[in-house]
Amino acid sequence: MSLAVLDGGTYFHHAAIYGARYRDLFDRAIYAPEFAPEHLKGVKLLIVPDRINPDLLRARRQILIDFAERGGTLVVLGENQADTWLPGVKWTFRPTNFWWWLEKDARPEQRLVAPNHELFRAVPFADTIWHFHGVLKPPPHAQTLIDVPPDREGRDAGGALLYDDRVTTAGRLIVSTLDPFYHHGSNFMPATTKFLDGFLPWARRLATA
Amino acid sequence: MKPALALSCGFPDGAMANLTSHPDAVGRITARDTYDLPALDLNAFGSLLVSMHIDQRFLASRAEQIAGFLHDGGTVIANGHLAYPFLPGITGFHPLENYGLGDLAVLRLIDHPIWAGVSENELTFRRGVAGFYGRAWHEPPQGATIVHALGNPDRPLDFIYRIGKGRVLFHGGNDLWQYGGADSAGRILPQLLNWMFSGESAS
Repeated sequence: MSLAVLDGGTYFHHAAIYGARYRDLFDRAIYAPEFAPEHLKGVKLLIVPDRINPDLLRARRQILIDFAERGGTLVVLGENQADTWLPGVKWTFRPTNFWWWLEKDARPEQRLVAPNHELFRAVPFADTIWHFHGVLKPPPHAQTLIDVPPDREGRDAGGALLYDDRVTTAGRLIVSTLDPFYHHGSNFMPATTKFLDGFLPWARRLATA
Repeated sequence: MKPALALSCGFPDGAMANLTSHPDAVGRITARDTYDLPALDLNAFGSLLVSMHIDQRFLASRAEQIAGFLHDGGTVIANGHLAYPFLPGITGFHPLENYGLGDLAVLRLIDHPIWAGVSENELTFRRGVAGFYGRAWHEPPQGATIVHALGNPDRPLDFIYRIGKGRVLFHGGNDLWQYGGADSAGRILPQLLNWMFSGESAS
């Protein structure tokens, strides 16, 4: 069984997927505009990186849903408008504070909700902390891994930044608002590289176990 | 002057919206989906605007169409890192490795109307943080006008060159139209529009 990743064709997807740092972890990279059911033969875990053109994902949503319904694990990262194509996803926009770490006595809002989840043996919580684009309301019985409290300005009730949903489909949906492919692939924000340094080998272990 | 064509990438692009809603641009920039490119007659447009978020792998499959547009006198304004060969002339791309603050300093090598009155310091830093404007450098073709370099004059960041009757403006970082703010970098947006629609020579 193998690990596959969708490739949106941008320079940052190119750098993250085909760059020397991670390319050996992926068994298959699937160019999103050509994505078809046969690409998922033998695939156990498919990563949908952040910032794939959401029109392409909406047009191929049934392939993704069928994969999860067959027992596959789908990792869906941020800025993909997953709420428009993936079952169970409810997302609320929150204006991005890129500058939280410059504020006086800066403390990140993120909270580690499930410290015993297997992911955190591979990815230290500290490596999941950077700005975020909106919050998720996980389906009932999904496990929230990281969340944030309600917006200080009352624009949302808070919610998850990362959850693990083994309920909505026969497989597993790991859904996040985080956007590490974009920032790592843009040669910016070392936290996102540290995140992928732990996350991608973990995903590979899940895919090949 | 023909309208400009902005290729969209499937999601709302706030920075591009800043550009298209600018008083100097209203009604002069047409947005079309990137994947509609094969069906478009580029002769209807004066400029092609390419965001850092675009599917470059697809654009590379349209390299001939883009080169033809340039040869016939079109302007291409492209942002980001060049991962796939969709533009003629650029021969190499180098992300900065293990960079320090000095490597991220934006250096102006020559004055240019697009960046007139824009402080190098305000390109280098946003709220004291360096690196938004560029973190990589490219190898432009011989004879290109290199306006900015990154940390070292040998690392071109912004450059302009001619292809046939047309011209390419390449910015190897975050989209130029993100710079609409209150500091001197806010001058880029109207000055870019002026350059784009004036069709002056590649100087």
